[in-house]
Amino acid sequence: MIKSAYVHIPFCETICSYCDFCKYYYQKEWVDDYLNALEEEIEKRYQGEELATLYIGGGTPSVLTLEQLERLFSILSRLNLSKEVEYTVECNIENITEEKIKLFRNYGVNRVSVGIQTFQEKYLSFLNRHHTSEEAITKISMMKKYIPNINMDLIYAIPGETIEELENDLDTFLSLDLPHLSTYSLMIEEHTKLYHEKITPIPEELDSQMYEKIKERLKDYEHYEISNFSKKGYASLHNLTYWNNLEYYGFGLGASGYLGNIRYTNTRSLSHYLKGNWVYEKQALTPLETMENEFILGFRKREGISLSQFQKKYHKNPLEMKVVQELLLKKFLVHQNDFLFIPEKYLYISNEILVCFMGIEE
Amino acid sequence: MRNFSIIAHIDHGKSTLADRILEETGAITERERQEQLLDNMDIERERGITIKLNAVQLPYHYQGKEYLLHLIDTPGHVDFTYEVSRSLAACEGALLVVDATQGIEAQTLANLYQALDNNLTIIPVINKIDLPNADIEKVKRELMDTIGFDEEEILLVSAKTGTGIPELMKAIIERIPAPRGDRKAPLQALIFDSYYDSYRGIVTLLRVVHGSVKIGDKIKMMATNSTYEVTELGVHNPYEKKVEELQAGEVGYLCASIKSIEDVKVGDTITLENNPATCALPGYKPMKPMVFCGIYPVESSRYPDLRDALEKLKLNDASLQFEPETSQALGFGFRCGFLGLLHMDIIEERIEREFHIDLIATSPSVVYEVELADRSVVMVDSPAKMPERQRIATLKEPYIRTSIFVPSEYIGPIMELCQNKRGNYLSMEYLDATRVNIHYELPLSEIVYDFFDKLKSYTKGYASFDYEMIGYKPSDLVKMDILLNGEMVDALSLVVHKDFAYARGRAIVERLRELIPRQQFEVPIQAVIGTKAIARADIKAMRKNVLAKCYGGDVSRKRKLLEKQKEGKKRMKMVGSVEVPQEAFLAVLSMEEE
Repeated sequence: MIKSAYVHIPFCETICSYCDFCKYYYQKEWVDDYLNALEEEIEKRYQGEELATLYIGGGTPSVLTLEQLERLFSILSRLNLSKEVEYTVECNIENITEEKIKLFRNYGVNRVSVGIQTFQEKYLSFLNRHHTSEEAITKISMMKKYIPNINMDLIYAIPGETIEELENDLDTFLSLDLPHLSTYSLMIEEHTKLYHEKITPIPEELDSQMYEKIKERLKDYEHYEISNFSKKGYASLHNLTYWNNLEYYGFGLGASGYLGNIRYTNTRSLSHYLKGNWVYEKQALTPLETMENEFILGFRKREGISLSQFQKKYHKNPLEMKVVQELLLKKFLVHQNDFLFIPEKYLYISNEILVCFMGIEE
Repeated sequence: MRNFSIIAHIDHGKSTLADRILEETGAITERERQEQLLDNMDIERERGITIKLNAVQLPYHYQGKEYLLHLIDTPGHVDFTYEVSRSLAACEGALLVVDATQGIEAQTLANLYQALDNNLTIIPVINKIDLPNADIEKVKRELMDTIGFDEEEILLVSAKTGTGIPELMKAIIERIPAPRGDRKAPLQALIFDSYYDSYRGIVTLLRVVHGSVKIGDKIKMMATNSTYEVTELGVHNPYEKKVEELQAGEVGYLCASIKSIEDVKVGDTITLENNPATCALPGYKPMKPMVFCGIYPVESSRYPDLRDALEKLKLNDASLQFEPETSQALGFGFRCGFLGLLHMDIIEERIEREFHIDLIATSPSVVYEVELADRSVVMVDSPAKMPERQRIATLKEPYIRTSIFVPSEYIGPIMELCQNKRGNYLSMEYLDATRVNIHYELPLSEIVYDFFDKLKSYTKGYASFDYEMIGYKPSDLVKMDILLNGEMVDALSLVVHKDFAYARGRAIVERLRELIPRQQFEVPIQAVIGTKAIARADIKAMRKNVLAKCYGGDVSRKRKLLEKQKEGKKRMKMVGSVEVPQEAFLAVLSMEEE
């Protein structure tokens, strides 16, 4: 049952030095053409399911003009949204305005995710973000008036960053009193400016100390996933769709989706997309791969995997699997009531555990 | 008929000269000439060395008469001295080839003495006279002063340009005596090599000394008493050519559907079952392996394949020894004995290349002679098997006597190197005004370690080196064990001189710390002697290995990352609870001393 959809808006005014997502520099004509193509894709592929979550990500959705946003929302209005839908739009400080936020709200958007990344001026320019921390604070206060359910993205482990600087960022976040924080250690990916400048990551000791510091400062929040913290009742339902290995539509350039047993990725080529060649690659999953994904994704959550849900889906008890038994023995997994999970102290090296689930045998 | 071989130092142009002789006799045309025709193993051609001997028959027309020449190629490296002695036993003469730009080298002399022991006629040949830096007069003088040749005996050739080749052919025919075998006598044929062919079974290379052998003859191996019917006879010219009969004096190959590897012993004599010879020919003295190491398949399921590979290699390499060995760290494998480091290297490479088995090799060790407290003596070829210290009365290690040929300006560096390697100076001879031959007494274990590399770097590659075993001497040796996470790793144990123990221990634990990746927990690495720790380094616990942000639900990307990590883990060996990469087992060899 498909209950979620992701919509990608691949346009940005400036390109962040760490970003390897699918994005193009904003050009008005391209956006108009793109929205037409997006409309066509949704029209052709969407089967009318009632959606519980809708997420508009980017790129930078907030780079669109009011007029373009109107057009986008009218396209999306053909989606059948449930009454309690979680409807999220990603925003940047540089181009979000009071008018745009009002528009969001008028079209039913009830959650925004804002890319702050850091409040330290020197790192803002390192990351090629074009706002000041003062602007960030003012704009967030403004946004809260219309849509109080706000997530903030924060990047740490920036080369040169100290624990104290990170603490300042966390303090600023706390003072804003937002219900959700997503926080990522800076990854230097291929095809990014930082990679080409041969920037080296900070030592893993410091990185893990920073992670500890974040958990400590956010102790009043629920640490419900490796990188995500929320106030009670504010966990991101959309992201939980991914982690629970559930199906979702991915619409737009470079978007990924999961329908039936097919995982697909759309093309990153704007010209292909505009011609209606949306999908770039498709992979039909074997039942075993689906099960592997259940573990790989599910163990990102602190609560882990529900044994009863698993049983329902796969007619199999994970506790009877050899790999699970071995990991339980080594205490890399813990079994409590209905749940199987990675203990907190191993979350930050969870790949070591997840790798055991690659190529599992019946 | 003339049977001869060529002896030369590595790189002195032996194989090129052999090719030139093949051309001169019309066995091959220029067009057919592949670089170095006789070196037909891939490794031989890549490394530019000869490992296995080859034999070819060459018809040659000289002064109105037809001659049959048999050329038996020989390896030049010290590790393969044994192969040289085998080929020399099948000959009456030898060409001693010396590079006009280099002069006599250590191994030239060693091989020459073997040839003289076999009563061969020696023809001294100075090669590469076409090179601008050739110093013919100086090399002539070396040959005259050091070995005692007459000036008129010495031939000057250039294998590259062909200069002097006709004179060389003349000398081969006129100076080397024809074989003196009796064709009417009962068959006596010496097996000097053998190899496995998947269609014909075991193929033996032999020299018929007396009598003759025909297809259909019932033959008997004199050492094993096994009998066979001859199915194929032939010679190499250099391609295989089948013949009906091989007669006294001839060198060729024989097939008799021999399937059992044990039945064919190199050095054995073949005779006829119904008309046997009364005695066997003198065989070869077996060579004792000097260097031992453990060889293990990376995938333990390939153990039977590894045994199969070693058996096939042993067929034409009698000096290779192996017996099953079990390591707690590495599982089932073999303790293998080699003539030297190059031999070891080549066998390992042949197993990986020809049999496609990935190997883990442990650091090489020599054979120690251990006298126990109860006066019994045991030979120990693996540090892991070394008895506990309290049980040892005396510990002896093998010593060698070196011949190091080197320009005299490097005397200082050579002495420094040998002193650092626990050497005792013996003597030094001047070969001429600018070159010396230095003799040191050195523990073999120091040679096994990194002597060759050091020798090269100390002398900019100008030194040549040969050695002979001179027996065992007591040494102040200790067994050093390596503990990973508190558990001893048998495959990493080593025997080391007490004075070097601390430095080596520190260097090894440091090197291992670099080679072993971080684990989920902190892993101490310790070097211990008995129960006393002498060095320690810690591999810090892994602090971060996590999938970052979920890119709009792109799962395939995460899977790729995990698959890559899984592949990486496959190349590791679990030692206790620690994942250790293959190369760590050679850490003892590859480290830099401070």
